[in-house]
Amino acid sequence: MRYAKSIVLFLALAGLEQGCRSALDRKETAQAPLLRHVGDTAFDPKLDDPNFKVCNPERAQQYYAFDGLHYEGEKPKIETHFKNRFKNKPKKGESGWLTIRFVVNCEGRTGWFRVKGVDKAYQPKTFDASIEQQLLTLTKELNGWIVGLNDAGQAFDYYQYLTFKLEDGRLLEILP
Amino acid sequence: MKHLLLLVGCLGWAVVSTAQPNCNLYKTPGNDSCYQACVLAISGFGAQGSMFSQMRFQRAIQMCPTLDYAYMEKAVPYLKRGDWAAWRPLIDKAVALNPRAHLGYRAWCRYQFLHDYEGALDDLDRLDTLFHGADIGYGVNGDYHLNVARGLCYKALGHKEKAIQTIEAQLARKGYSPMMFDYLHLGVLKWETGDPDAAIECFRRSIEINDYLAEAYYYMALAYKDKGEPIAFKRNMEQAKDYYTRNRHMGDPYTHHADRIFLADIERQLKG
Repeated sequence: MRYAKSIVLFLALAGLEQGCRSALDRKETAQAPLLRHVGDTAFDPKLDDPNFKVCNPERAQQYYAFDGLHYEGEKPKIETHFKNRFKNKPKKGESGWLTIRFVVNCEGRTGWFRVKGVDKAYQPKTFDASIEQQLLTLTKELNGWIVGLNDAGQAFDYYQYLTFKLEDGRLLEILP
Repeated sequence: MKHLLLLVGCLGWAVVSTAQPNCNLYKTPGNDSCYQACVLAISGFGAQGSMFSQMRFQRAIQMCPTLDYAYMEKAVPYLKRGDWAAWRPLIDKAVALNPRAHLGYRAWCRYQFLHDYEGALDDLDRLDTLFHGADIGYGVNGDYHLNVARGLCYKALGHKEKAIQTIEAQLARKGYSPMMFDYLHLGVLKWETGDPDAAIECFRRSIEINDYLAEAYYYMALAYKDKGEPIAFKRNMEQAKDYYTRNRHMGDPYTHHADRIFLADIERQLKG
């Protein structure tokens, strides 16, 4: 009896995991690729370049799993890219954070871009199309992403995001 | 050393973001579902952010809708992956259920991840009222006292004198041991407000505490430059470059700290 609750809990967890896997397996057959983690992206033929290949999407990492943002010339290079090219669109209310999440593949190329915005109260927000389109285009132009390598020297794909802090259409900061 | 600091940072995240509740507290008559939910939430099954892990926290929330820990943990991967709209309602729920445990954490995250300086200050001010003057604690990565983070929020909003006062007050607080970036930030503030001598003294203190940061030498060089001492400028700037190229600089796997420098900054100054 002493261990009964633990055994029940373990079985419950095992059952939950099995149910989860079954759900995943069903999903896998219905629509590939599988979304296993928070923030995973699935290829969308309406949005994504079919020539962009993610080498091993099921093993894609997060940028922070290997020492943070990796870009040739570091963050200043990214900031300069946007500072020189982004045209501020002063417009009252265009304030908050616009985030573009994407994959850096095992060759250092980028794709599967997804855009999400929130206002200053963290409520979902669609920013002015000219702001969003500029930031998306400029993000796609970035070509200095450094390939992720594991301890064995094998390249892997990883998810990266850039968040743009905006105040009335002016670009204030780029994160992370 | 850099990897050690990163490890400490990551452990800080791991420790605080998984600061697990004592589930035995839920072992009271009629509260078995919350006890079971708590045990489920802390069980550690599934990698952070995995569907399984998220479902585990969701199940715990269903079993015990007042289990703040489960909301907080479910929120973490959204924060780390930049999904602010998904992060916020979950962390807000955790804060609403247990503000003493989670309000300082939310303040720190708003500062670190979003540079939401006003929002972080709102949370920190509310935290003061909850703690009635007692120590409000540290940022989740273990690098900063929350009052130093408060000072950096003031600085980012343009209130540099208030930032100096805030950081100095924390440094003067009885029993407080300076963290590794405190004197660096204070020195930069002193330099930016036109006091290079006080800045240099701060950078020396920073180096005494932690002789690891290229930033301390970089800003010390700039202070000497303002004082018209080119030899000291060059010596410190070259030291900054030496440290930087050996990965001895501020670092964080998720974000960039305030006053972080980069190799291009150093090289621009040396060419200057």
